[in-house]
Amino acid sequence: MVQAQGFETDFWKDANLRKGWDDIVPGEPRKTLPYLLTQEAIALYCKAVGETNPLYLDEKAAKAGPHGGLVAPPSIHILLMFSCTPADDWMRSPGTINAGQSWSYNIHARPGDTIRLEARALDKFIKRQRLFVVHDNVFFNQHGQVICSGRGQTIRPA
Amino acid sequence: MNNDFDKLSEGDTIDGPSFAVSRESIRLFCDASLDYNPLHLDDDYMKGDFGRTNFGGIIMHGMNNFGLISRMITDWIPPGAVHRRLETRWVKPVRPGDTIRPAGTIKTRQTTQKSRWVLLDVVVRNQKDEPVAVGEAMVEFPP
Repeated sequence: MVQAQGFETDFWKDANLRKGWDDIVPGEPRKTLPYLLTQEAIALYCKAVGETNPLYLDEKAAKAGPHGGLVAPPSIHILLMFSCTPADDWMRSPGTINAGQSWSYNIHARPGDTIRLEARALDKFIKRQRLFVVHDNVFFNQHGQVICSGRGQTIRPA
Repeated sequence: MNNDFDKLSEGDTIDGPSFAVSRESIRLFCDASLDYNPLHLDDDYMKGDFGRTNFGGIIMHGMNNFGLISRMITDWIPPGAVHRRLETRWVKPVRPGDTIRPAGTIKTRQTTQKSRWVLLDVVVRNQKDEPVAVGEAMVEFPP
């Protein structure tokens, strides 16, 4: 199994340290971590979704392409969400169910970028006895440029 | 279909790639996304109930649908066009053994002060032709 170095894959570990629905304060920033995006991580993500676009994978072709070099696919934020948050972040609580997401894309992330996340819960509510949280997330590169921004809803474990 | 903005019409369709879901593909997505939620890994855990829902076994990441739709759009757009937005919600769990395929339909074209846009309805269907994810996408065609 390929894993990011140092990443804790056992989401049960220290699960009791993570905030539950009752503890989440809408508006309060989440703790985040800078993340160095590598070509290896991009290639692994591409493999997982069957991406074969040379703009993401072929350095020579990408250099001659519209971005002047390799870029990551827009949906790389799927990886960035977990790589930019610490092990005690409540998104890792076992049983978290993703109910839907929307993302807007500004510029591509590139291999070698150091990615920064600003994130918070925007809202929380109860619907049909389920505990929902609305999240707000923005990823930036090392130049302070917005890569993408997104909003999601998760159903929290009871 | 022709991808030139002026030649696109409401109702034009896009077909995305077929994707065979397996325990291995789900595990690979765990490694690629770093999302190791036991929903996607632990059969024993998934025997339990989630409120009124029982999934009966591990399920694919909802965001795997998202990645497939995004791939379909970036494969479709011509040079110079930009995949600007994607919104999805999950309507049915996807399990190992399922085969899913994204598709899109142009809903409308719109010109703003500085650019041109195509809005698409998107859907991912399983092998029974049941929708498992639905949403909307926005593609910019800069003039």
